[in-house]
Amino acid sequence: MKLKTTLVLGTALVALAVPAMAQDYGSFDGYTLRVKLIGGAQYEPLYAEIPKWEAATGAKVEIVSSKNHFELDKEIKQDIAAGTLDWCVGSNHTSFAPQYGEIYTDLTGLIAPEVIADFVPLMIQHSTVDGRLVQLPRHSDVSNFFYQKSLYEDAEKQAAFKTTYGYDLAPPETWAQVKDQAIFFSNPPDFYGFQFVGKDEAITGRFYEMLVANGGAMFDENWVPTFNSAEGVASLQFFVDLYAAKAVPAGVPNYTWDDTGLGFGSGSIAMDLDWGGWSSYFNDPANSKVAGNVGVIRAPKGTAGKRTGWSGSHSFSITESCDNKPAAASFLTFLTSYDNQMVEARKGLLPTRSKVWEDAIAEFEAAGNTFSAETMKTFQASMSEDAFTPPLIAEWIEVSNALWPKLQAAIVGDMTAADALNEAQADAAEIMKDAGYN
Amino acid sequence: MTVTVQSRASKQAKRIALWFTTFALMLVMCVPGLWVVLSAFRPNREILAKPPVWIPQELSLVNFGKVFGFGAEQVGIPVGSYFANSLIIALTSTIIALIIGIGGGYAFARYRFRFKGGLFLGLMLFRAVPGIALSLPVFMMWSKLGLVDTKLGLIIVYVSLNVPFTIWLIDGFFRQIPQALSEAAQVDGCTRWQAFWKIEFPLAKSGIAAAGVFAFLTSWNEFALASQLTRSTDSKTLPVGLLDFTAQFTIDWAGMCAMAVIIIIPALILTFIVQKHLIAGLTFGGVKG
Amino acid sequence: MIRALTTRRTEMAPFLLLLPAVATMLFVVALPLIFSLWTSLTPYKLTKPNTLYDFIGLTNYVRIFGDWDFWEAFLRTIGFLTVALNVEFALGLGIALLINKITWGQRGLRTIMMFPMMFSPILVGFQFKFLFNDHIGVVNNALQSLGLTNRAIPWLVDAKLAMFSITLAEVWMSTSIFAILLLAGLFAMPRDPLEAAKVDGCNAWQVFRHITLPFLMPFAYIAMAIRSLDVARAYDLVAVMTDGGPAGRTELLWTLIARVGYDEAKMGQANAMAYVSTILSILFTWYFYRKLVAARRYMGGAE
Repeated sequence: MKLKTTLVLGTALVALAVPAMAQDYGSFDGYTLRVKLIGGAQYEPLYAEIPKWEAATGAKVEIVSSKNHFELDKEIKQDIAAGTLDWCVGSNHTSFAPQYGEIYTDLTGLIAPEVIADFVPLMIQHSTVDGRLVQLPRHSDVSNFFYQKSLYEDAEKQAAFKTTYGYDLAPPETWAQVKDQAIFFSNPPDFYGFQFVGKDEAITGRFYEMLVANGGAMFDENWVPTFNSAEGVASLQFFVDLYAAKAVPAGVPNYTWDDTGLGFGSGSIAMDLDWGGWSSYFNDPANSKVAGNVGVIRAPKGTAGKRTGWSGSHSFSITESCDNKPAAASFLTFLTSYDNQMVEARKGLLPTRSKVWEDAIAEFEAAGNTFSAETMKTFQASMSEDAFTPPLIAEWIEVSNALWPKLQAAIVGDMTAADALNEAQADAAEIMKDAGYN
Repeated sequence: MTVTVQSRASKQAKRIALWFTTFALMLVMCVPGLWVVLSAFRPNREILAKPPVWIPQELSLVNFGKVFGFGAEQVGIPVGSYFANSLIIALTSTIIALIIGIGGGYAFARYRFRFKGGLFLGLMLFRAVPGIALSLPVFMMWSKLGLVDTKLGLIIVYVSLNVPFTIWLIDGFFRQIPQALSEAAQVDGCTRWQAFWKIEFPLAKSGIAAAGVFAFLTSWNEFALASQLTRSTDSKTLPVGLLDFTAQFTIDWAGMCAMAVIIIIPALILTFIVQKHLIAGLTFGGVKG
Repeated sequence: MIRALTTRRTEMAPFLLLLPAVATMLFVVALPLIFSLWTSLTPYKLTKPNTLYDFIGLTNYVRIFGDWDFWEAFLRTIGFLTVALNVEFALGLGIALLINKITWGQRGLRTIMMFPMMFSPILVGFQFKFLFNDHIGVVNNALQSLGLTNRAIPWLVDAKLAMFSITLAEVWMSTSIFAILLLAGLFAMPRDPLEAAKVDGCNAWQVFRHITLPFLMPFAYIAMAIRSLDVARAYDLVAVMTDGGPAGRTELLWTLIARVGYDEAKMGQANAMAYVSTILSILFTWYFYRKLVAARRYMGGAE
């Protein structure tokens, strides 16, 4: 109990005094905290900070696993199956979290309310499953719209576009405009107006956000799938039309994030809806040909006037079986602390603490880094106003697996959009029924 | 038979032509692999480009910096421990598989016993079980035994992957060594063990070397089971480490290529060294059952 | 008495020698197979460990056998294996025959020939995924630069090409194994029948058809059997290249099993499919093994 008081006191201090390293993370002398962290070049800089926590608390951190999230997901499911949840802290993700059921503990009460209050409220909401705060968001991501600036500044193109489409060529505000511009810019096989991720949960997500932006919904209030509505068909038709018009590369049904990212970086794609996390890669001359030519705006609007804002957050969770939850909570507080979020924000990742947004933007501006400052501002707007997650239910991945092959079938022309969605709807309805929803 | 100087020269020319044709064909076959090797020295911007960049504009070791953590990229990946793990696991499992395989191969080649054919076929068929069917049950067992994320756990699995092939190869090889040799030695007063060790084992060296190369390559490159059974730097192997260059949404293909080169080189050197024995060792008893 | 004991011991010797091999295989393969057989009779879900104890009989099997997607993947897997193994054999034979004729620098050439064997299947997957990228991939870039096409060929998407691309990657990865095994066969070939045939006036084709090829057949079946032992490692490659898509066009049993078992955590149903795929692999191996025995008998070798 005393431990907890120290912790609450300590974390309360973070809220008050911003130079946070001075703060007290408690003392856990001789304790070894076992953690599973998402690995990869992008995530390592944060882990380089861990010795500071070890020095402050006297505890040791043992990284028992470090993998990308899909591999980590498999591993955690194996752990549940084998009953080997003998570790305390795990990397998590808002899209994966609902599947894990009760293995992660509710952080309300473990993490000081003052700490939680420092986070963007929407992020905390997305981290909550069935009323339990099962994860503390580390950094988030949301669909944003990237484009090559030079294309829109070209007077010849402006004139030609205006003649054909009757309105001025400008970064798109709606998805209908995206379609026009994608077709306008495309010159296959050398140059394409647009691209989209076309397989796995990625295409489900793209369809889903379009559905929401067009005023539809995945499920009704009784959890009956309703994505085969008129809005659903229109949403899928958008992708089908672009594919048929050759306004996107012919390979998109096999694209995931790496392909779209590398494609936009190659300079032969005009517009790209992608994760904010790519922005620093796109603007790095060593990796990308569009460096210096990248524009970023919030995702365009669907027919219902809503922006496509599919979002997810990387996060950390504490296992229910953890033998020292206060130590784990202290570690989580440390990893998501102001200082550490600043470390990640400088690398181009989107923070989850309100103040880090402000200060990171200020820091970029002070350093004369206009690109980063501008993108950060755009991300901040989309993160606080447009972002929404997939339905936070355990069956999401299963429903997605029933849906995406059908979406592909429509895109490559094997089926009509309506037929594809009707078939997927039947499968999804069965999954929901099997799971006991209705 | 009169061989004129001219026809000898044309024969020579033919031989040279054949050599170059074969060499060219081999190179063409290697192109997809050489592309990976070349990409290891080029920036992402150039490898995956539109319009394509055919003649490398810049070659550098930057990608290797991402692996080892030198230069501008300060945080590398723990390639040192991956390499050590891979080496320990591949070598140990190869040696154990060879010892077990020599015993088993010798038994099949030199003894008559009941259920011999069935046992032989049974061992082979067990090997045919796809890894994907084994991954979860093996994981559950290993976790009960505390073998998950240990080198030993992976070594045991790899031994079982390699034993059937090793037995088959070595069995065939022993068969080719006339039994009379060891019988003569036994008449001269050697024990069966001495006869084996002094006469048959040295003759079977090529077969053992060939089996060793195959076992080593299998263990060195195996991914599916390693990705399930390893977790941290205690046991992660190089092929699993390749995925360190993929993040949730991004992939650093050039970095991955650099890592690939690090995986390929030791395997290539080993293959070249053992090459002399390799062909001689892969006879499987040839036409003799 | 002493005599009886020694016979006894010699009888025991082969079993003792084989004991480690048998024990390893039982421990690492047979025990897990028993466990997975049990799970295939339950509605086992990874994320709900208690479901492991609900016996539901053959429900999973009935479900998959009634599922057309499963049969499609099943047939496609057989087709993939048949095509890949045969193409690998034909190419491997060609390479082996060529290299067999080379007298100078053969050791180096053989090492170059084995180059693809140094590539981990997962790496081969990434490699061919990028090579075959329709937009920025090297294959299309090369075809367009050479003026052979002005289209972006969707190698990994088109209904026919996608399976072709995957097969090509698999063939690239594994042809070397055939080549090296067949080359070993050529080396082991006795010279006398060849010389005799030449003296008798047979032409090169006749020699190949009636002497070389029959002699090589046992090696071919050995190679086939050995390859069929671990064709399933092509899973790594397919998983990275297409993961069964688009629209199920490249779905193989292994990708289906992995998705159902891990993504959806429905391990019971996945293991039922895994059992079918195990039996399929065993049948392939068994078939080639029978062929091998028959070919050896044809060659007059002792059984």
